[in-house]
Amino acid sequence: MARGKLPASASALKSRPDVKAMAHSLSTAQAGVQKGRSAALGSAALALAIGAAEPAAAADIEFGRYLATECLTCHRNTVGGAIPNIFGMSATTFGEVVRAYRAQRLPNQVMQTIASRLKDDEIDALAAYFEVTKRP
Amino acid sequence: MTIVTRRNFVALSGASLLAASPLFAPRALGQGRPKLVVIGGGPGGGTVARYVAKDSAGAIDVTLIEPQKTYTTCFFSNIYVGGFRDYKSITHTYDKVRKSGVRVIHQAALAIDRDRKQVVLASGRRIPYDRLAVAPGIDIKFDSVPGYSEAASRTMPHAWKPGVQTRLLVRRLNALDDGATIVMVAPPNPYRCPPGPYERVSMFAHVLKKKGHKKSRIVVLDPKTTFSKQALFVEGWEKHYPGMVEWQDPQMHGGIKHVDARTGEIKTDLASYKATLANIIPAQMAGKIARDAGLADQSGFCPIDPENMKSKFDANVFVIGDACIPGDMPKSAFSANSQAKVAAAVIRAELANARAFPARYSNTCWSLIAPDDDVKVGGTYEPGDGKIKQVTAFVSQKGEAADVRRQNYKESVDWYAGIVADVFG
Repeated sequence: MARGKLPASASALKSRPDVKAMAHSLSTAQAGVQKGRSAALGSAALALAIGAAEPAAAADIEFGRYLATECLTCHRNTVGGAIPNIFGMSATTFGEVVRAYRAQRLPNQVMQTIASRLKDDEIDALAAYFEVTKRP
Repeated sequence: MTIVTRRNFVALSGASLLAASPLFAPRALGQGRPKLVVIGGGPGGGTVARYVAKDSAGAIDVTLIEPQKTYTTCFFSNIYVGGFRDYKSITHTYDKVRKSGVRVIHQAALAIDRDRKQVVLASGRRIPYDRLAVAPGIDIKFDSVPGYSEAASRTMPHAWKPGVQTRLLVRRLNALDDGATIVMVAPPNPYRCPPGPYERVSMFAHVLKKKGHKKSRIVVLDPKTTFSKQALFVEGWEKHYPGMVEWQDPQMHGGIKHVDARTGEIKTDLASYKATLANIIPAQMAGKIARDAGLADQSGFCPIDPENMKSKFDANVFVIGDACIPGDMPKSAFSANSQAKVAAAVIRAELANARAFPARYSNTCWSLIAPDDDVKVGGTYEPGDGKIKQVTAFVSQKGEAADVRRQNYKESVDWYAGIVADVFG
């Protein structure tokens, strides 16, 4: 799986247009989580940086395709607005955003719950699948 | 005179004769492929049919049997009841299901011959299968409410199966004058869409409020002591419709003694109500064809293996959606869609040597309480303790900010567009 350079700071992660779009469309502005977002994203970025230091095993795209069927109930490129299209998203962004949900650094109960059971190899498999897949 | 003996028939059987023989014609058309037959074209059946057809790229022959040419979803039908969507927007065709490579037969499946591995259609035709997915949804147990019947439902709709019943309920609701009494008899567990009755109550209240009603009221007679998202609904009813909704648990009403479709009277142990509009939602059970085929247990629903959605009674048969016993999962379209994907992967592994993956499930249910005030509950699930077991879960909280609830509604609208595209193409 291709890994881009990780942003060094929370503001760098927040200012990335793709992450911004995700955060905007998925944010449900839960009190507290919302207030603490910049600090929260800061620690998320730190956690990600630590995680990324380990060598990534080759992502299992076929497993990702199976796991992705769970995502397709909601995420499709036929809709817009509250639930973003995730097809074609870079594997790096996908991994960062899902890990941020898993760590409850991005607010959305559905995504936090879905992400909370995903293991690292599963996130990598999903990320690899979505990066190379353009539509459902 | 030529006598065709068995011996010279075989001798005569050149390539042209073989090709012309009806015995061999089906194979020439590619029907020697392994066969999946699916009964029921809702979220469970549509999903499993489409996923197997799409992902096996023609290696598996997929037939979907569904009597209706269009499918109106029960999910989001409350949103139609509340006037937020029209009927057409919750009604879907099978055109894109066909385009996914599924043969769709618009006939009722009469019976399943499990010994011969065939489905018998209303026409008498038999459709053979290697694997069968049964997704007939629910049937209504009319006699679970004393005095209620299918005939009575034409006056006192249940509207718990989408279609004519839903439209009847909406017509009746929209015709109510101020001072009306709506009585809902809520269903006992387990039933399709746990928060559904209470979202419907919310939509009733919204319509009455919008019409400017000051004196109308809604009485909910519940056989349960608690219900899904109860704190959220009660909070919402007090906030948006103060004094309009009265929910009674069995301690408060003492049990439903009788409903009379002719007079609109609903008697409980402790009181009698004259309903201007009655919405009677009885107990439920798996669709008839699943029960007739011996796939249900004493509960009226069908036990499944949580690892693969196979019937506990037949390893060639999968039961998906509201008809099955889904462990910790609720009976919902989301659950059916999720279960169908697990079944589809198993079917492809067994019939087309595709790679097998461990079962995992998820669900989210959104409920609209008032315009832009939407709450949700959800979870993830995996096989465990012999059932589909909850792994993670969440539920909306009381007192959430308005923009959280507004975002939930937007999310539910996107979810609807997503899941119907997933099911119907």
